Amino acid sequence: MYEVRFHGRGGQGAVMAAQTLAEAAILLGHHAQAFPYFGAERRGAPVRAFARIDDKRISIKSQIYEPDMVVILDESLLEIDPVVDGLTEEGMAVVNTTKSPDELDLGISVRCATVDASSIAMEAIKAPAVNTAMLGAVARMSDLVTLETVKRAIEDRFGEKLGPRAAEANILAAELAFEKTRTGICKADRTIFQKKVWLPTWEELPTGTTVYPEHIDGVAVGPGGSMQNLTGTWRNATPRYLKDKCIRCLRCWFCCPEGCIKRSEDDHVSWDYRYCKGCGICSNVCPVNAIEMTRGVTEW
Amino acid sequence: MVMKVLSADHAVAWAVRRAKAEVIPAFPITPQTLIMELLAEFIADGEMDADLITAESEHSVMSIAVGASAGGVRTFTATASQGLALMHEMLYAAPQNRLPVVMVNVNRSLGAAAGIWVEHNDSMPERESGWLQVYVEDGQEALDMVLQAYRIAEDERVLLPIMVCLDGFILSHTVERVEVPEQEDVDAFLPRFKPAFALDPEDPSTINAIVPPEYAMEMRYQLDRTVERSKMVIKEVDEEFKERFGRGHGGLIDTYKMDDADHALICLGTATSTARAIVDELRSQGRKAGLIKLRFMRPFPHEELREVCSGLRAVGVFDRSIGFNRYGPVFTEVSSSLSGQGLKVTDHIGGLGGRDITLRDMRDIYAIIGSDAEGKEVKRVNWHGLRGVQT
Ligand code: SF4
Ligand code: SF4
Repeated sequence: MYEVRFHGRGGQGAVMAAQTLAEAAILLGHHAQAFPYFGAERRGAPVRAFARIDDKRISIKSQIYEPDMVVILDESLLEIDPVVDGLTEEGMAVVNTTKSPDELDLGISVRCATVDASSIAMEAIKAPAVNTAMLGAVARMSDLVTLETVKRAIEDRFGEKLGPRAAEANILAAELAFEKTRTGICKADRTIFQKKVWLPTWEELPTGTTVYPEHIDGVAVGPGGSMQNLTGTWRNATPRYLKDKCIRCLRCWFCCPEGCIKRSEDDHVSWDYRYCKGCGICSNVCPVNAIEMTRGVTEW
Repeated sequence: MVMKVLSADHAVAWAVRRAKAEVIPAFPITPQTLIMELLAEFIADGEMDADLITAESEHSVMSIAVGASAGGVRTFTATASQGLALMHEMLYAAPQNRLPVVMVNVNRSLGAAAGIWVEHNDSMPERESGWLQVYVEDGQEALDMVLQAYRIAEDERVLLPIMVCLDGFILSHTVERVEVPEQEDVDAFLPRFKPAFALDPEDPSTINAIVPPEYAMEMRYQLDRTVERSKMVIKEVDEEFKERFGRGHGGLIDTYKMDDADHALICLGTATSTARAIVDELRSQGRKAGLIKLRFMRPFPHEELREVCSGLRAVGVFDRSIGFNRYGPVFTEVSSSLSGQGLKVTDHIGGLGGRDITLRDMRDIYAIIGSDAEGKEVKRVNWHGLRGVQT
């Protein structure tokens, strides 16, 4: 049995990638299954999807903890999610990055394929949906599936859903990625990011479902909420607070979907940028333009 | 037969299309939505001739289903969790009025504590509604069971609604290879629904009138006997299905490596798949482990279970639901079936609220049953994957 775990951001198509890989394997006569992990869903949050491939009927329905291959659709996840968890040195990684395999540092030294799937997706699909480009790289990396079957699976899956033109563009993305994929061995210098997850025993768990502000930084979303899911470096714009302009209406605090704006005693606000995804909603709702969105990842 | 790569939800939609359901009341609720989305697409594209009726709540969905079925047409709907709970009142209308509605419930926990993930605590409480209830393990079984469900439900010896339960996300959203039978083969297996009675404006009648105590007991007894009798029909239908399509699912229960087993787990839903992998592992170590897949909760296969468990030294029951203050509902049912047989039974509760049931959990479950079989001291109720000390 071969197990693949996909890591992406909400919106990048990790689930479709896993399904398409399974379909490609099935076209080759294998058995396969693909399924998503549903967590606190939101655009930009780290998501996981899984695929299993085998020659016999697959009789396991649990998540994948020791993958043979990880496919990382977004390099910035390395800073916020332990994406190589359970991967051994015999495993493989396929990563969307501009780096070559020997420049890439996954924190574990494994056989590795790298491809600039973001640029390829922009070129072929005109959108940052990197999933099909990544499948091209997977086909190049291992003999799990061939480029031909990946193309056919894309045609089936995307063609049926989004029409023949979308299928064509996605097939082109897979082909380009197949050509441009570089293979090698990656470095193991970084310390692998470990999530700090609050996992109380049943005795420690507070009674009921109410979570008080003092428990988790003012974000009363309950156990397992967004507090455990850093969005962090994914944003490409950062809100900057112009305190002098602020009239303390607290609309930004109320509207931020990530709950990363904090309110002080005097009703001024401040930001916890670890959770800010740069959506700009705070800036939009501010009646006096006291929040400006600036490009890139910055903290003030 | 065409091979497709489908999620179990989509496999269900294909079955409903092949069954040519004519009225489909719908209210979207996660993780059932994929079923209704695909059915809506089939209808919009002219590939299916049915009325998809959107309602403002699940209570109305079930009311529409009852009305449509009483009008004599093949009716389908799907729901999950809170949706099923909201239907609760109307659920009771279908069985006593003998209306063969088929409904898929995509199992999901009931809030609070709110969650969208699998748990059987939504469907288990509906065991006493008079609906037949089957739990499936994969996309193929989901598709096949919807087809079989219509045959069972509409059989004149039965005429009862059936709830096909499938695990949310773990199954509803998992894609696998699924064989979709050809339309003509399904037509031959499942001819057009000929209702025993139907509401007809030309010949007015009343259904669901008030029933005074002089009749109610007899009606309940009749229903009780009918649920019992449906066992026979369930077996027959599965056998015929196997003849025609080459796949049977075992009827009321299915077994895996039970011939010489000395201990076994009784399991339902997707946990069965994971259990199978552990049985293989234990067998390769020379251990006599077996697996009993409990497919139907209603009718409950009392005799079948007694028979397959006779000779075992210990048996475990897997519960993805909990009856608060000790045992899960499956355990309670199984224990009442096996009582007097002197068999040691342990309850294994896991996977609540969508907690992943890992190979390790399943290994632990079998280890406890194995120890029980060897006469070692074990806990009667065991939670698996729980953090903290079990008291
Ligand atoms: S940009 Fe503003 S609204 Fe969006 S996540 Fe960041 S702080 Fe919240
Ligand atoms: S919305 Fe603008 S004015 Fe209102 S509190 Fe936020 S920053 Fe200040």
